[in-house]
Amino acid sequence: MWSTAREIAAGDTVIIWLTRELVQPLVVTPGKDFNSKFGNYRHSDFVGMPYGSKVGSRTGKGFIHVLRPTPELWTLALPHRTQILYIADISLIISYLDIRRGSRVIEAGTGSGSFSHSVARSIGSSGHLWSYEFHEARAKKAKEEFAQHGMSDIVTLTHQNVCKDGFNLTDTVDSVFLDLPAPWDAVEHAKQALRKDRTTRICCFSPCMEQVLRTVSALNDAGFSDITMYETLVRPQDVSPIPVLQSINDVADKLKKAEGIREIKRLRQIAAGQRHNSNNNNDPHGEKRKRTSSDGEQEVPLVADGEDSGNGKRLKTDDEDMMDDVLEDSAAPAATPAKISLSKTIPEVRGHTSYLTFATLLPSMPIPPAAPTAAQGASPSQGF
Amino acid sequence: MSASTSTAEFNTRASSVQSGNTILLRLPNGDPKAVKIDKDCTISLGRLGSFYANELINEPFGRTYDIIDKKLTLIPPRSLAEDTDATNEYINDGQFVQPLTLEEIQALKQSGAHASEIIKMQIEQHANYSLKTEYSKEKYKKRKEAKYSKSFTTIEPTLFNVCEYWFKKDQTRIRDIRVDTLSQILNMANIRPGGRYLAVDDASGLLVSGILERMGGKAIGIILFQLTHSSFLVGSGRLITIGNSDSPPAYPVMVNMNFTAETVAPLSSLNWATADQSHTPLVPPVDVAPDQIKSERQKSRLNKRKAATDLLFSIRDELFAGEFDALVMASEYEPFSIVEKLVPYLAGSASIVVQSPYGQILSELHSKLRALPGYLCPSVTEVWLRRYQVLPGRTHPTMNTSGTGGFILHAIKIYDDENANAITSFRRQKPTATSSFSSSGKIIIASDTLDASMEDADGS
Repeated sequence: MWSTAREIAAGDTVIIWLTRELVQPLVVTPGKDFNSKFGNYRHSDFVGMPYGSKVGSRTGKGFIHVLRPTPELWTLALPHRTQILYIADISLIISYLDIRRGSRVIEAGTGSGSFSHSVARSIGSSGHLWSYEFHEARAKKAKEEFAQHGMSDIVTLTHQNVCKDGFNLTDTVDSVFLDLPAPWDAVEHAKQALRKDRTTRICCFSPCMEQVLRTVSALNDAGFSDITMYETLVRPQDVSPIPVLQSINDVADKLKKAEGIREIKRLRQIAAGQRHNSNNNNDPHGEKRKRTSSDGEQEVPLVADGEDSGNGKRLKTDDEDMMDDVLEDSAAPAATPAKISLSKTIPEVRGHTSYLTFATLLPSMPIPPAAPTAAQGASPSQGF
Repeated sequence: MSASTSTAEFNTRASSVQSGNTILLRLPNGDPKAVKIDKDCTISLGRLGSFYANELINEPFGRTYDIIDKKLTLIPPRSLAEDTDATNEYINDGQFVQPLTLEEIQALKQSGAHASEIIKMQIEQHANYSLKTEYSKEKYKKRKEAKYSKSFTTIEPTLFNVCEYWFKKDQTRIRDIRVDTLSQILNMANIRPGGRYLAVDDASGLLVSGILERMGGKAIGIILFQLTHSSFLVGSGRLITIGNSDSPPAYPVMVNMNFTAETVAPLSSLNWATADQSHTPLVPPVDVAPDQIKSERQKSRLNKRKAATDLLFSIRDELFAGEFDALVMASEYEPFSIVEKLVPYLAGSASIVVQSPYGQILSELHSKLRALPGYLCPSVTEVWLRRYQVLPGRTHPTMNTSGTGGFILHAIKIYDDENANAITSFRRQKPTATSSFSSSGKIIIASDTLDASMEDADGS
């Protein structure tokens, strides 16, 4: 499909990874430039680099990563012409339908080709994908992309309305995938296209429950069995290393210390006020303080360290030295705490893509021999 | 060997039952049972009775059979019930409804009456049967069939079916890897025909089975049992697994896949000592002077030993030569130690896919990888799957459902460029403790440069 060489060559399709949300394809064309908000690059600079390289911009600011295309990266990078399928649905469908090397698969409609690339990757050169798209412009675009990605040998793209005109295949494929507004209209055509000499499978992809119910009815009427339905979603996790959670005992200790400090400061203020009063009888501030100290019940707001009654500096007493030490200790930053990695699902997740309705077509009952033997114990039909 | 009856297409396993296969059979009560099919043998299914294995050989999968006198008769598949307007309005609980006594039922059984006749009689005698809704009737019939029927259905050993079987049987042995988990792992790692992969599988071989299945080992002319270095042709794909024991790993899930020899051929195994580049494995001597060889037996033993030693060293060389397309892990061991060891052997742009039953394990790993330059966009996801019963008029999610399919971490290996600067590196004007001026006057800031959009990460 895409290059398997170690180094990038001219003409290769590569995937430019700018950010998790900005992933885009690029065809390496020497002579052309690639400009983005992460810098400027010349295509020719990529030639000869190993796939997977981080590349710095020519201007010195910014960088990008140049990656090898895979169907998964293609799904993130491809230009959307329609709503596309993402990895959770694609991978479950491929598994359930038993799509693997050599498989023969029908897909309708092609859409933007997201699913098509995954199928092509899994079936390899010995398998085949018949893909149908009823919208002419989209069919053309998909065909071009398939050609560009080296898939033309294993993918046959047909511009056709399969509900009206079927698949033009009989007893050929191992599995059918229908991503159509009215898959029930294509069920009989699908049955015709599926091979009858072994178990084959079908998947119908529909966003609405009403579509599912109609599809189930059609599958049942057409003789499919083991009809079931799945929903699958991905829940991305947000991982962040955060400091180990603090115990409330530590918090209590801190609060107790803070209480102690406030008390110290309150006492300091009183002491300062008393000294002041003894020096200055008519000081209104002093009286206020006296009242405060005699009450003993006024709330003393935590005043900033070093704030005085405004009388200027004086020498500290021993007590006050100790109080200062306590204050300093509480103000010193704690040692860098150990970190633990915690994860939780991201706040907004994709809640629904579509319902996947699966069914199986069992191999045809063999035609009984011309002269039937006497009934080996009544084997009544168990179908309704 | 595969006995594909159609074109010359190659398959990882035969499309019909073959002698030597271990097949899953669905019993009337819905449970799957694994049985070994050997030519000319009789297979016993307990209460259901026994039948001749040859009856199943070359039969396509998915068919349902009745066992009668050890032979098998095909039964057509059943379809879904359509509902009527009946409700349970008039059905009284507690009323005695089943007049067939135990003795009568035993007598019927012994007289050789077919299960369906027994059930028919029960239905006729059932006082309230006609009052039941069609679904109720259906359920009733199904319950009785599970009790009296002697039939089974063969289950095709697709990866989906085998994974589902193991998940129901004992999900701990496969580390909670559910069908959706396995599918996403294989897609994320871009497993495809011709690819070259490294795997660490402590999940009973489920990952290995998935990888081999999707690689679809090439049918090469040479039978690859004389496994010498030259047998691994380019394009045939390769899978090297690393495990914790001296002897070749047992991958019990592979038994249920019934792979052909060509499918398994690309698989080789090393252990954590032999996979260590700085360690030279101690091997018994193989070079013995010709005059010292005492017997043919000894000679053949020495030859075998030499072949094994050559093989070991050639697998090592292959691992150390690197450029593998992906690393896939579901291991009981600390994942970063494994990633650290094996990522050097991956090609640039290769995927690293790690599965764990526990989110915390992957959160730790994520934090470590995120801080290193060689890993692009590590991301952790949880898988979610819900199955619905779809019956006309009775469509709803299944009452019992799986609680967990584990977690997956995915990252891409990249070649770092130390000289490349993040786009924001010029927005900072003040030199900080971690920045310095290079001789050209550019400010170089050592910070998390993994992501070009660089939300200035976690305080660096």
